[in-house]
Amino acid sequence: MSIAVRLEGLSVRHGSAPVLERTDLELPAGSFTALLGPSGCGKSTVLNLVAGFLRPTEGRVTAGAAPVRGPAPERGVVFQHYALFPWRTARGNVEFALKRLGLPRAERRRRALAALAEVGLADGAGKYPAQLSGGMQQRVALARALAAEPEVLLMDEPFGALDALTRSRMQDLLRELWQRRGTTVLFVTHDIDEALALAERVVVLGGTPGRVLADRAVPAGPPSPDLRSLIARHLGSG
Amino acid sequence: MHATPSPPGRAPGRLGPALGAAGAVLALWYLLARSGAVAPGLLPTPGATAAALADGARSGILAADLGASLARAGQGFALGALVGGALGFATGYLPRLSAAVTPVVSFLRPIPAIALVPLATAWFGIGETAKRLLIAYAVLLAVWLYVHDGVSRVPESYLRAARSLGAPLHRRFTEVLLPAAAPALLAALRYGASVALLALVAAELGGADSGLAYRLQVDGQFLRVDRMFAGLIVLGLLGVAVDFVLAAIGRRFVHWSAS
Repeated sequence: MSIAVRLEGLSVRHGSAPVLERTDLELPAGSFTALLGPSGCGKSTVLNLVAGFLRPTEGRVTAGAAPVRGPAPERGVVFQHYALFPWRTARGNVEFALKRLGLPRAERRRRALAALAEVGLADGAGKYPAQLSGGMQQRVALARALAAEPEVLLMDEPFGALDALTRSRMQDLLRELWQRRGTTVLFVTHDIDEALALAERVVVLGGTPGRVLADRAVPAGPPSPDLRSLIARHLGSG
Repeated sequence: MHATPSPPGRAPGRLGPALGAAGAVLALWYLLARSGAVAPGLLPTPGATAAALADGARSGILAADLGASLARAGQGFALGALVGGALGFATGYLPRLSAAVTPVVSFLRPIPAIALVPLATAWFGIGETAKRLLIAYAVLLAVWLYVHDGVSRVPESYLRAARSLGAPLHRRFTEVLLPAAAPALLAALRYGASVALLALVAAELGGADSGLAYRLQVDGQFLRVDRMFAGLIVLGLLGVAVDFVLAAIGRRFVHWSAS
């Protein structure tokens, strides 16, 4: 199986304070990995390194065959607070991602509407973000990120601000999209149940500076209480 | 020198209360002028002021002064807003540049434009150039500050999202930074316009041969309080009209911003 993202010997210092120390991680192509840890453990730092928003103090990030030098459309990002452009409609936000492809206007519009339909938001295409609920906004953000057809989808606590019901619906939607598209997903969360419900693999990050405390495969089927308590122990020891 | 800018994107106020207040002020003014509490030569009645205004309109002096003042203020505003806006985007987007120039701006900003009139006259004479440059300078500082603030507050996540969606620099500017900073840009232009009027008055009082403030000075020398009142009212209406137009334009372009 090919490797979509490889982190080698990553260290990050913020000023003189170490944030992340000698971290190695590989994401196989098409995998769904949850990066779990308490706030301030460096899990968002890892995501920002892969996205290309941050440069490591030491070590290397490789995506596909090439080293990461900055953000690129091959690595899509879904932000915690959606980062939708409030001056564009839902469709306009998705079209922003499609512009790069140089499609004719009608085709761009058609694809944007299809992307919104895929996340269950065909009706809201003409609405502005301020007119949409948090869950709907995150659907638009997901549609926008996927419209750019990234190989890797990076998600930074994307459902953290949603209520429980909306959150569980978004989790179902994300699982379904992942199974259909086979995009490699790196999902950052501090919620152990969310990590177990979504991912094939859970990586626990913790400590100061942050490092990998545990790396476990999540078997298919209903969540196992043993695995949950094992991961909870690792989380607690961070 | 520092007027408080109105919040951008505010919904248009209802006309009724405004007209009511204007009527009340007019009535009070009339009663005060008629009561004899103020010497008649110092406070004209609303009727005398209206007559002076009509007089100015008939003779063409008002139009000539208004034209001269608008041309100065408009040209100075355009130049200052253009340069100040460009600088605001540059320093708002590039923190290092901002760190270098912020101390300079902090020093220049509290100096009122009127204090620069003698220097502007010494450098550029009493012609139009000195006036336009003085107005442009005052507008530049005001617009720069507001635009800088607005651009530096554009959420980092917008720019990150744009970069990770493959938008090159020119698209990040025109399609992200510009619209994201548009509410601040609008507030900057409205504030800049009010500063342009203030600087206009300072420049004309410093030596001119036409213009609304120049006329005020001349009328002052002849103690024509009716004409002075008329001139002040025209200046006030001019400010209100300019702000109204800018706000209306802004609402068209910044429709998504919370009103």
